[in-house]
Order: sequence, then C-alpha cells, then structure tokens
Amino acid sequence: MTLNSNTEATAVKFDNVTVRMGGNTILDGVSARIPAGSSTAIVGPNGAGKTTMLLSLLGQVPFEGSIEIENTPEGKKPCIGYVPQRLSFDRGMPVTVLEFMVMGWQRMPLWFGIRKSHREKALAHLRSVKIEGVAERKLGALSGGEMQRVLLALALGQEPDLLVLDEPAAGVDFQGEYIFCELLEDLRRKNGFTQLMVSHDLATVTHHATHVICLNRKVAAEGKPREVLTHDTLAAIFGLHMGLVDSRVLPKCDGSCKAHCCNGEHKYD
Amino acid sequence: MTDPASANEAAHGLLPFIYDIIAKALPFDCMQMTFMQQALLGLILLAPMAAAMGVQVVNFRMAFFTDAISHSTFTGVALGLIFAIDPHWSMPAFGVLVGLGIIASQRRSTLSSDTIIGVFFSAVVAFGLAVVSRDRGMARDLQSFLYGDILTISEFDIKAMMVLFLVLAAFQAYGYNRLLYIGLHPILAETHRVRVAVYQYLYATLLALVVVFSVWAVGVLLVTAMLIVPAAAARNFSRSAGGMLWWALLVSVTSAVIGLVLSAQEWARTATGATVILVAFVWFVFSAVVASIRGERVR
Repeated sequence: MTLNSNTEATAVKFDNVTVRMGGNTILDGVSARIPAGSSTAIVGPNGAGKTTMLLSLLGQVPFEGSIEIENTPEGKKPCIGYVPQRLSFDRGMPVTVLEFMVMGWQRMPLWFGIRKSHREKALAHLRSVKIEGVAERKLGALSGGEMQRVLLALALGQEPDLLVLDEPAAGVDFQGEYIFCELLEDLRRKNGFTQLMVSHDLATVTHHATHVICLNRKVAAEGKPREVLTHDTLAAIFGLHMGLVDSRVLPKCDGSCKAHCCNGEHKYD
Repeated sequence: MTDPASANEAAHGLLPFIYDIIAKALPFDCMQMTFMQQALLGLILLAPMAAAMGVQVVNFRMAFFTDAISHSTFTGVALGLIFAIDPHWSMPAFGVLVGLGIIASQRRSTLSSDTIIGVFFSAVVAFGLAVVSRDRGMARDLQSFLYGDILTISEFDIKAMMVLFLVLAAFQAYGYNRLLYIGLHPILAETHRVRVAVYQYLYATLLALVVVFSVWAVGVLLVTAMLIVPAAAARNFSRSAGGMLWWALLVSVTSAVIGLVLSAQEWARTATGATVILVAFVWFVFSAVVASIRGERVR
C-alpha cells in the first residue's frame, strides 16, 4: 500500500533504492518521498533498514537506484544537518561542548582558542535548544538527554534545509523524549526546515510526524500518520511484535492523537 | 626559485648557528660536543611532532596503529638492502605504504580496526624476521632498531626532520579541529563538509613518517611511548581539546631535553631514548596526581 500525496512539493525522492552489504539486501527497491517542510518519520522494526536509508541519503553507503534532493526555493543545493543516534567516543577526552560546537566552523586551530563570533554563534544555538548552561562542560560529562540537545544545536548551526535525525531520543526517558520532540517541532516551525527522523516510538511518530514511511526493507506504506499507521500496516511490518504495541498510541480517524502525553488533546493538521 | 645547492649552503650555515645557541643555552660540559648538540636538535624537532600526533593517537586509540608502523621499519630496511635502496628512503617509504594500506583496508573492510592492524602487523614482522633469518649479518642491526640511537643522528636526518616539522606544523594548524571532529564522528564531520578520507590518508602518512623518525631516536620498543606518554599526561592536565596540545608539547619537549642531559651524565650513562621516556613517565605520574586532586578519574 502506498499512499502518496503529490500535491505538496517534494524535498527528497527515493527512487527504487537498493542497498546490499555483505551479500544481504538491506534495502530492496525503496521508493518514497519526503514532502518539503514536513516532519517525516521512518518507522519499522529492528533491521528494517531505517538507518541505512538515512545513510544512503547522506551518501555514506553505496546504493542502486536514485535519490533526488531538490534545490531550495532560492535554487541552492540544500544544506543537510545530521543528528546521529549517539557519539561513541572516549568520554574522558578533554573536549568542551563549546569546542565541539565550533570545530566544524572554525578554521583557526582550537589551541589558539575560540573566536568570539564563533563562541556567540555556538551559545545562541545552545540557547535555542535551552541548554546554554553546559557550554563549558566536558562533552563526556553530559547526560544522554543533554548530549542529544547538543547534537541538535550542532546540526542547527549549519542552518539546515533538511534535518536528518537517527533515533534522536534513543536512550532518553519518556519525559526527555517528549521535551526533545516538542523542542524539535517548535524549531521546525520557526526555521522552516524539512525534517526526516528515524523512530522506534509510535507514540512519538503519531504525535509529531506529518508524514510517515513504514519500512521493512521495502516501503510498506507511506503517507499521513492517521492514514498509514493502521493495525493492518503495522502488523505487516512489525509482524508478531505488533501484539506489544499499545493500541492507545495509534491515531484514530477522529483527528486527535491518543499518545499518553497528549491525553487526546493534540489535533492533527 | 632557490637552487638546491644554495639551499644546502643555507642549511649548512643555519645548523652551526643553532648548535652555537644550544651550547650557550645549556652550558653543561656534555652539551659542548657537536653530536650532543645534533642529538638535542633532533629531539627538539621530533618531540613536538610526536606530541602533536600523539594527541590524536591517544584520543582516537591508535596506539596499535603506531606499533604496526614502527615494527614495519625493520622490514623497510630489509627491503632496502634487497633492492639496493638507501634505508633512509626505504624505511619511511615502507612505513608510509603500510600506514596507507591499513587506512585503505579499514575504510573498505567490515573487519574491526584492531583485526586489520593485527594482520598488517603480523605480516610486516614476519617478513622482517624471514629476511633476517636468511641474512645473519642483518641481525646485528636489529639492536639499533630495538633501542634507537639519537646520538648517531646525521645532518641529513636533521634536515629531513626540519622539512617534516614544517609540513606537520602546517597540517596540524589547518587540520587540528577537523581531525578532532573526524575522531568524534566521521559522518557528522562529513555533513560539515570535512573531507574525511583525505584527512585520514594525510594523517596516516604523516604519522608513519613521525613514527619512522622516532624509531631512529628511541627504538621500536619505545616509539609508542614517545607518542602516547606526553599526550596521556596532557589529557590529565588539560580541561579542553585546545589546551591538550600545549600540555603535550610542554611534557614532550621538557622530557626530551632533560632526558638527553641526564643520560649523558657520568653517574647515569643510560640510553637516551629510554631516559627521555622515563622523564615523560614522571610527568605522567605527576599529571595523574593532579587529576586525582581535581577529583577526576585517572585515565
């Protein structure tokens, strides 16, 4: 089942994308679109190829087929911001959050300090994700939730047209995930970027996504959450595990979200 | 454009001038001898290079990589003898080749980095041993590779180190932030338009050259220490990535100077390379105390 709306502009178009690694087919002829300005979520079970789909978009894995990234309305090549699932680094490494924020922008080596303009820019982005208090702390001393916000601030520093997030709330508790997603939605509305996010959490998806791609090596369904996240589609991609999904988080056709955090108050667009 | 002959003359004029400064700055008896002045200049050139590269080696856990390169040097000499090439060229050339081979394999293979380095490590050591076992005469040279000998460093080596020093300083000034970024998350760095592959290959090439020169100074057994001990001490002292480089330079250069002077004392008469590393280790112990007083876990 593919529910495609062609009335909106497209930011990214996956056309028959296949990824093979070590003799296994990770993605098998994936065709999907990401509407411009949308909050698109890729959902699917473990091993469905969600992260691989993001990595193919970022040019990090070889693939067959084509991925078209549309130019911005100004005719420029879009800037892609990326928020990885986690940073696996030596946590004892003496790198401050501010140094981490500027190391992609600043040419002058960090041993000569941080330029005032870069420091102010970094602080502004940390402020935008409500975490400026950690600027001088060591990166390894951050909690999971703080790290995710720092990674988001870093991606925002690129002023992205397309923001790609790989399970940004993995390892963060429910409250932390909710706050992170609310913050992300505010920023998307304010900055107008297109957002593509991998998520395991159906409650998060139904609450925040405007477009969903259900993936299990192939695209099982694509479209608006209330049209796509049906028991039939989810059973098709999650299989037996569907029994574990709380039916209260699935959207009803009454136009409201049933996630715990909403208490049925969040209305769809 | 300067012709090679005049450049050579300039270098010849420069080196005695530097030796003269060393003799005046360090008025010890031992430092009035030319071979000691040459050794000190060699160490002063080598120590900052090892310190700077060591910062990345420590932060990104590349000690095993440096071990593989250092062990390839003997094979480099063996190849030089087989193909009648001066070991001054065959050693660095083979070291760079091994470094680039490891990086290329890491980028293409699904095997873990340690496994790939282990495979290269075993291959170069096995090849070196095979050549030594065929030609018993070469076994005599093995000792200088195991322990190094900075006191026999030639003017050619010093000039080569000066060139490497300038290239490496430019690379670190341009790429320090980007190398840090790549070490933290290569994909993230690439989305910031950092050319990850180019930096990885350049870093491996320069690291291989620093390791080869360090083998001449401190020997295969201690070359990894030359890179990691100052950087490890710097990690304990520093609270930032920028500060770590300055601390590593301080520890490395002071260890080199103090180690050389101590090793030449009548009461000591120890191997220079080993003494330099021991002084750096004292720095490390002090840094560990400082870190524990600050309430940080000793790393």
